Amino acid sequence: MVQRITEFVLKKPLLVMMILLLITGFFTYFIVEKARIETNLDKYMPEDHPAFKKSNYYEDVFNIDDAIIVAVSNKEGIYNQHTLQKINDITEEIQKLKGINPADVRSITTADNITGSDFGLEVEPFMKGIPETENEIKNLRKKVDDNEMIRGRFISTDNQSALIMAELKDDSIDRMALYNRVKEVLKGKEGPEEIYVAGQPVVEGTLASLMPRDMKKMVPIVILVIVIVLMLTFGNLKSTLLTLGVVLFSTIWAFGLMSFLGIPVYSVSTMIPVMLIALGVADGIHLLSHLQQRIRNEPELGQKEAIKDMVDQLWKPVVMTSVTTAVGFISLLTSEVFPIKYFGLFTAFGVMAAMVFSLFFIPAGLQILNLPANRKRKASKQGNFFYNLADLVTGHKRVIFVISVIIVILSLVGLQRVGIDSSLLSKFARDEEIIQANNFINEHFAGTTNLNVIIEADQDNELKNPEYLETVQKLQDELKVMPGVGDTFAVTDFLRRINKVMNENDEQYNRIPGSRELVAQYLLLYSMSGDPEELNRVIDYNYRRLNLRVNLKSDNARLIRKTIEKIDEFAAASNIADFKIDYAGSAYTNMVFTDLILIGQVKSLVISLIGVVILLGLLFRSTVAGILGSLPIAITAVINFGVMGILNISLNTTTALISSIVVGMGIDYSIHLLSKYRRYGQLGLDKMETARKTMNQSGRAIAFNALVVISGFLVLLFSSFPPNRELGWLVSLSMFNSFLLTLTLVVALIDKYQPDFIFGKRGKLNN
Amino acid sequence: MKLMQKLTILFLLISLLAGIYPGVITAADITGREIMEKVYNRTEGDSRQSRLKMVLINKFGDERIREIEQYEKSFGQIEKKIMFFISPQDVRGTSFMNWSYVDKRSDDQWIYLPALRKVKRISAENRSDNFMGSDFTYDDLGDRNLNEDKHQLLREEELKGEECYVIKSVPVEEDYIYSRTVTWVIKDKWIGLKKEFYDREGKLLKVLENKEYKEVDGILTIFNSEMHNVQSDHRTRIQLSNVSYNIDVTEDMFTERMMKRGL
Repeated sequence: MVQRITEFVLKKPLLVMMILLLITGFFTYFIVEKARIETNLDKYMPEDHPAFKKSNYYEDVFNIDDAIIVAVSNKEGIYNQHTLQKINDITEEIQKLKGINPADVRSITTADNITGSDFGLEVEPFMKGIPETENEIKNLRKKVDDNEMIRGRFISTDNQSALIMAELKDDSIDRMALYNRVKEVLKGKEGPEEIYVAGQPVVEGTLASLMPRDMKKMVPIVILVIVIVLMLTFGNLKSTLLTLGVVLFSTIWAFGLMSFLGIPVYSVSTMIPVMLIALGVADGIHLLSHLQQRIRNEPELGQKEAIKDMVDQLWKPVVMTSVTTAVGFISLLTSEVFPIKYFGLFTAFGVMAAMVFSLFFIPAGLQILNLPANRKRKASKQGNFFYNLADLVTGHKRVIFVISVIIVILSLVGLQRVGIDSSLLSKFARDEEIIQANNFINEHFAGTTNLNVIIEADQDNELKNPEYLETVQKLQDELKVMPGVGDTFAVTDFLRRINKVMNENDEQYNRIPGSRELVAQYLLLYSMSGDPEELNRVIDYNYRRLNLRVNLKSDNARLIRKTIEKIDEFAAASNIADFKIDYAGSAYTNMVFTDLILIGQVKSLVISLIGVVILLGLLFRSTVAGILGSLPIAITAVINFGVMGILNISLNTTTALISSIVVGMGIDYSIHLLSKYRRYGQLGLDKMETARKTMNQSGRAIAFNALVVISGFLVLLFSSFPPNRELGWLVSLSMFNSFLLTLTLVVALIDKYQPDFIFGKRGKLNN
Repeated sequence: MKLMQKLTILFLLISLLAGIYPGVITAADITGREIMEKVYNRTEGDSRQSRLKMVLINKFGDERIREIEQYEKSFGQIEKKIMFFISPQDVRGTSFMNWSYVDKRSDDQWIYLPALRKVKRISAENRSDNFMGSDFTYDDLGDRNLNEDKHQLLREEELKGEECYVIKSVPVEEDYIYSRTVTWVIKDKWIGLKKEFYDREGKLLKVLENKEYKEVDGILTIFNSEMHNVQSDHRTRIQLSNVSYNIDVTEDMFTERMMKRGL
């Protein structure tokens, strides 16, 4: 079958080439026409997961929407005509933007002031037009200073900065496009004021746009590095170009299929090209180095024969390693998160495409371009090196075992310390604009990350009861002094404010009203004189649920978790112990989301490890082979997480991808080593010679492969995203470990225990 | 061929005229403005007492129900209205008084909170604000002065078995919350059957439907109406009962003292 196909490929190489290029062209067309980058993080989450369903529901009930936050800062203070005018202009221009509901843009120029006077209750805008005279400005300042619902929230307490918050109309808004529109508004508005833009939509938008841009920068470098490595390996341009063609075309196929199926490019998908380029060259190296060796040994061999021999000899291992690598990524389908599923699926597809290209494109290409020149090589030094390595390893088995055990123990200790991080902000480098803006706003205002706490009473109208409201107020007071918490906001803030102004601004009435009737009447009063929509954000229609907003200074999962723990603890010990407490908002869903991703990663790591054991077991018809082969993979994974723990690198959505790469590549090394070992073992050589020959053959192949993958991934060190850099060197380290463990630990174990699947059928020669 | 061309031009001219002066073709005898004038001037009695049930329904179907006893009376230049909350229980006894002036002056409003035992004035700055969290703005509830809109008769059509004029009203004020409203007025009764409100961007915002009207003391009275905000899917139902006109009340009824005393 395979022979017949190869025959055909060699007979009509141009036709085969045309077909492959046609399909590639077809996919390229789809990429150009239909590829779409997804910038809305909500789209990444599984909608039917209970936590997201609940959060979405509450976001709907309380109109919780992500907001773009603009800070206008003036070192001289904002209380001057020029700065106020600027704040007003920006507010008005943002109100007109597509995707923004004018009523949902708040700043000092649109905010209502709840005041009391002899006259009664007034809910009026702070500003009607820009104050001009000194007196008017002073007046405004006094109004702000008197209202703690505004001071610290829209005007910083040092009076140097003002905030403009613009909520997105709905979830489907393209974050990046909106961010660009906001930037357009702000263009030329700086000076003397400084302007900062932050907020969840901006973070998501920036992330979604920087990721592909980062990859655009990365891919050419990866290609260059791979070309250099390939040139060094092959020593000729033909082989290099053919192998390069394999990986580039398989990348196009993967993205082409994605676009064809209408699946958007998620930020994690931008890792696919680097993955495929680094992983896909393995097959090409395998095939072409075999070919070059063959023609070096038998220069008289005909072109067709040489190519046929190459495919004949190697199609099995090529298919096998490709399938196993693909299976490593397919295991990501167990994740509940679609972008991860797609990442796994399309990387697997790309790996399979690389296999198809290797088996058709390379032979066809060789037939058209003719064989690479036969390069005379001096007796290879590496050969000696690997020969010697075999002696070294078998001679120091005990040392290897002891060192391995020590490293594993150390890693297990470090592994305990691995922290999970869902922070989107931590993905950016410190000098990134968004980080600067975020830091500025967190320093001067309540905090850019919102955690929404939904407190639900056991029956309707219960939350008009002052006893419960007092508890909520106490909870707010305790939260406010927590490090990392900037501010809180709830219906209690409205009630205290109204209570105070209805009692002649007497500060001692700045508390929850004393009776349920008064609470109800104040709420009615506010709904008659103020904007009832404001109340709908903090309390529901049946006075059964309230929304307590907690402003956090960081979107770090640890802080969010700590805050949630604090709230749950407080509630359990209070009179609202029987109430239901839920959480909502993007900070919360991001955290749950990250947890899901990580659980998925761990799950897929375990599943794929078990899969590897079974696969290797079946392949070599031996349980021992399964265990031996998966041992270096498991240890590599353990070391990786141990190193992360020791160096305090958080497990996040990027670094978690390492496990699938480790498994996908590691298994290739095991297959390589074990099949060569078995081959020489079955030849009847003695144990030392078997080790040497195996080491010389597969050791070199594994080393080359590791070298290529490592150089590919090290390019990620140039990425502008810290997690990508971490991924780059962690994968490199893991590939090195995997290579080293396979050649030392596994060889030492085989040498010590002489398993049957290698040495058992001694004498019965096949092949 | 020539005849066809002439006919076509004639037809086009007629359509054009119809577009500019729809009244010309549909009902040459009455203009949009005249219809709205009749609606505006329809007799409503100079005083009224009624029980008002206001039901606010959000998009989840949650309801807030308020029952109010209200008295209204016109004293020449001032329209006075006093409302006493009957339910829900925790706001019972709350009262609300509104004086609106025929001239441009903005309304005066007071509220009495029994739990606070104080009458307070509240500011009613904006007629575009929603009334008590309902889907009605103060403007929607009151009579908007005829001169504030340009009225145009669009067509005549039957709606729910009633012969109606369909009138488009475009506010004169440029930045008003509505870009236009379309009203179905029942012929010869001069009462609105349905009204559509379009937002600034020209998208349908709200639909008001008159669901039940009958004559009380010779005056056509809407007993049941519903305003549906189609954009937020929020509804407000207003049901009247125990309506009587030309009641025997004096200005003493519309005072802070009465607000405190209650019913």
